[in-house]
Amino acid sequence: MQGISNLNRNTEQREALFISLYKSAFPAVARYISKMGGSFDEAKDIFQDALVVYYERSAAAGFVISSNEKSYLLGIAKYLWFNKHRENNKNLPMGDIEVEADEDDESPSAGKLMYYLQTAGKKCMELLRAFYYDRLHLTDAAEQFGYSSVRSATVQKYKCLEKVRETIKQRSLTYEDFLE
Amino acid sequence: MRTSLNETEQIEAYLLQPADKGESLLFDARAILNPALHDKMIWQQKAYEIVHLYGRKQLQQEIRAVHLKLFSLPEHAGFRQRIKRLFQKR
Repeated sequence: MQGISNLNRNTEQREALFISLYKSAFPAVARYISKMGGSFDEAKDIFQDALVVYYERSAAAGFVISSNEKSYLLGIAKYLWFNKHRENNKNLPMGDIEVEADEDDESPSAGKLMYYLQTAGKKCMELLRAFYYDRLHLTDAAEQFGYSSVRSATVQKYKCLEKVRETIKQRSLTYEDFLE
Repeated sequence: MRTSLNETEQIEAYLLQPADKGESLLFDARAILNPALHDKMIWQQKAYEIVHLYGRKQLQQEIRAVHLKLFSLPEHAGFRQRIKRLFQKR
C-alpha cells in the first residue's frame, strides 16, 4: 500500500490518492451497501465519510495503516452503515470512529466564523490546515508554500495561529453560541 | 521569533505535545497567575478546533470533486457502469 504520508502534500496528489482509493475500494463498499438494501447515494455518503476517517487516521502522527486500504475502507464503511441503521444507537457505544463534519453539526456561529476565515484569511487557513490537519512535515510545508526556510514557515505558522486565535476571540464576543 | 510568537509556541507545546509532568504543572501555575496567558490558551485551543473543522471541510470538498469526476468524465465510464450495475439488480 502506498503510504498516505507520501501522497497528501498538495491538492493534485490528494486527488490522485482519492481516485485510486475510489477505484480500488468503492466497488466492494457499494456491493455491500446494495446487499444491505441501501441506495447509490447512501453508498456514496458512507464511502466519502470512510475516506475522511481513513485520511485523518493516516495523517495522524505516527499512525500507519497496516492492512490493505480496500479492507480498511470496507471495514470503516460497514461500521458506519451499522451505526447509521441500528436502533437506539445513542444509547450504545460509538467506538472510536467519529465522523461529525456535516453542516448540520456546526453551530450557526461556527459557520459564520468559518465563512469569515475562509474569505478574509484563506492563505493563513491553508497554511494552518497543512500543518495541523494534513500534518505535513515542516520542510514539505515550507516548500509547498514557498518559504525560503523551515524557520520562515514556522514563524508564519505562529503568526497565522495568532491571527486566527484573535479573530475567533473577537468574533466570538459577537457570536455567543460559539462559546457553548 | 518575537516574544508573543514564542509564547504561542509554548502554548502549543502545552496543548498539543505530551510534555513531562513537571513542565506541565509549571505551565499550569503560570496560567493561573497570568489571566492573559490563560485566555490565550483557551482561544488557541479553539483555533486548533476551527482549523481541524476547516481542514475536514476542504477535504470533503476535494472528495466530492473526485466523485463528480469519476461519475461524469468519459474516461471513467467503465468504472461508473460497474458501480451502477450493483444498484440495478434489485
